[in-house]
Amino acid sequence: METSFALTGKGYVIVAADTTAARSIVKMKDDQDKIKELGSHLLMAYSGEPGDTIQFAEYVERNIRLYQIRNLYPLRPSAAASWIRRSLAESLRSRNAYTVNLLIGGYDLADHKPTLYWIDYLGTVVEVPFAAHGYGSYFALSLLDRWAIALTRGRPRRHTDILLRYHNPEATLEEGLATLKRCINEVSKRLIVSPDRYKVKVVDKDGVREVEL
Amino acid sequence: MQAQVQRRTFKSGMPPVVDDDDYHCSDAMWGSLAGFGSLVKGVPSFVIPSVPDPAAFLRLHTDDHADPSCKIKIQHGTTTLAFRFQGGVIVAVDSRATAGSYIASGTVKKIIEINPYLLGTMAGGAADCQYWETYLGVHCRLHELRNRERISVSAASKYLSNLVYSYKGMGLSMGTMICGWDKTGPALFYVDSDGTRLKGNIFSVGSGSTFAYGVLDQEYRWDLPDEEAQELARRSIYAAGHRDAFSGNTCNLYQVKEDGWQFIGNYDITKLHYDWAWGGSW
Amino acid sequence: MYTTDSIIYRSDYDILSRRSPIPEYVPSHLLYPTTQSTTILFIVEYAMEAISHAGTVLGVLAKDGVVLVAEKRVTGKLLDLSSAKEGGGGYGGSGEKMFLINSNVIGGVAGITSDANSLVNYARSVAQRYLLQYNQDIPVEQLAQRLCDMKQGYTQYGGLRPFGVSILYAGYDPHYRFQLYHSDPSGNYSGWKATCIGANNGTAQSLLKQEYKDDMGIDEAIKLVLKVMSRTMDSTTLGSEKLEIAVLTYDEAAKKPKAKIYKPIEIDGLLLMHEMSKKTEEAMKS
Repeated sequence: METSFALTGKGYVIVAADTTAARSIVKMKDDQDKIKELGSHLLMAYSGEPGDTIQFAEYVERNIRLYQIRNLYPLRPSAAASWIRRSLAESLRSRNAYTVNLLIGGYDLADHKPTLYWIDYLGTVVEVPFAAHGYGSYFALSLLDRWAIALTRGRPRRHTDILLRYHNPEATLEEGLATLKRCINEVSKRLIVSPDRYKVKVVDKDGVREVEL
Repeated sequence: MQAQVQRRTFKSGMPPVVDDDDYHCSDAMWGSLAGFGSLVKGVPSFVIPSVPDPAAFLRLHTDDHADPSCKIKIQHGTTTLAFRFQGGVIVAVDSRATAGSYIASGTVKKIIEINPYLLGTMAGGAADCQYWETYLGVHCRLHELRNRERISVSAASKYLSNLVYSYKGMGLSMGTMICGWDKTGPALFYVDSDGTRLKGNIFSVGSGSTFAYGVLDQEYRWDLPDEEAQELARRSIYAAGHRDAFSGNTCNLYQVKEDGWQFIGNYDITKLHYDWAWGGSW
Repeated sequence: MYTTDSIIYRSDYDILSRRSPIPEYVPSHLLYPTTQSTTILFIVEYAMEAISHAGTVLGVLAKDGVVLVAEKRVTGKLLDLSSAKEGGGGYGGSGEKMFLINSNVIGGVAGITSDANSLVNYARSVAQRYLLQYNQDIPVEQLAQRLCDMKQGYTQYGGLRPFGVSILYAGYDPHYRFQLYHSDPSGNYSGWKATCIGANNGTAQSLLKQEYKDDMGIDEAIKLVLKVMSRTMDSTTLGSEKLEIAVLTYDEAAKKPKAKIYKPIEIDGLLLMHEMSKKTEEAMKS
């Protein structure tokens, strides 16, 4: 079942997506890259209806490239997310809407902040510290949520609170990748048909790159 | 004129959904297509039923699950496979056509010879595959004439994928593999009517595909000698013909090499069965 | 009889009356010996010529802001300026030539006022459409480009008259921070540290060239534009009835650009502060 995760940390965003291409019960491919590099500092993980996904992703990719060709500078992540959201929202009211869910991770060179946007096929956009799509989200979000609860309670006091820090916006890349691994392991453990391979990409001040878990 | 990259649209007479924020300053306003008249049109159009919802119309008349006496029966059961290896691409298919539980034909050609370097396989709607892959052949030839070189397998499969995507939801049913040899060497793409297009080394499509995969995945290696690769393909199709009620009769086998495809042979699956005299437990 | 692109027109049934693309400032003898396409190029030249007689607009880029100042031509005892006093008017400026195009861009126009109003309206729509699409303010250069695309179109296609307007754009965006652009009726645009359009622009340009310093702050820039304006304007004294001033700075607290188009009373205050008003000069004389 298609799953994608993303989380922010200190100066970076990690985006991960499974690599399975399935048709009914058959896995047609297990090394499909579902994360597009939309620019030097922008990543987009896409999932959803077969066909729509790649068509929409390429449409987005080319328009964002066109913007950069015309204006020399790229769209900032927030502007890109707004444009993509708008495209999806307009598509939703057309005869044949794109059924595509997205995670947009970018590093904003104007204000030096990593940003992550969760977008669904209905055209909802939310800026979030971490996000997930697909069945994996039912397991991963609660896992990542714990830190937010600890934060609202103020500084963690008890030892158990400290153990619950699974998402930390100030985490180093190593800590972030460790948290991502927790998500992947949890999904492997509990989801009946879970993906076994993921592609992981990171975007930070130096740009986008792929990392091995 | 600030045209943006356009999304592909249907040709059913509705206005194209163009992401053009300068819509009131269109080329038409200036009375010019700026010399790009033939490029902005997108994919070619195809006649569709002139009813308000052509997709629903087609569904109504083609869904033999819901209505066994429906007007148009689309051929579904099939086993097709193709794999890339050291010697090129092996393509093998069965030859059975079924309509419900009835075997409509046992001698169907499910490998479509698009041109001397390209093969397409047929699963799903036979007519859809035949029509659009022949159509693809026309455009591959035009590409050759215009560019003085053969179209790449990647480009050909992308053309087909974009084409079927523009009819998404309107009842097309195709699961095809585009196999060929181009500058990059042997190439294999899976294209279906959802609009999915995948590059890969091994694909199998159709109701018997799981059975074919079962044999194929066990013995497949990149450096299989030609003879062994052909044998593996035959055995895979045989396995599917044996286990899948909707596949069978004969196996057609092709191999794509550097100088184009070759027809290897047509094999009676029943004969294969007895030739091999498999001592199983059926 | 004359021909345009192999079509023969009778001179008593000519393009002036039928298609009316030729503005009145083009001398009629120039129209007849030429073809339509070269005529259009002439029209653009004449539009530019017309602008060089319009009220002066000056712009200066400082390190922490941009300032625009304009000379108002439509004045008089009987003119009702009550709306201008509020710093409003139908187009959101203080009167005639300063317009808030978007929260990050101020436009100063010189030329045919009605054409300018139409372009300003277009510019505002462009800026809003960008905001709708990208959820951020339009970058200044893109706004200038979009207006130039529009202006250029009217120099190329038949049956249309170019906009007789030059515009100065004072703006801010996070890509290039403070910027000053100029666009002319042909659809050309360029970025400037300091520039001038309208009457006496040559004099003003050379003055700016002499006096401009790269590290000026916004107050120095205001002082500079007022000084240049006082030397280039026909009238000897400056006052709010003949001037419009607009300043674009960055509000560090709100983290967004701050556009301010001065009200007449504020202009008088500013002149007083820089000791350039009528009153101070009168006082000095006496």
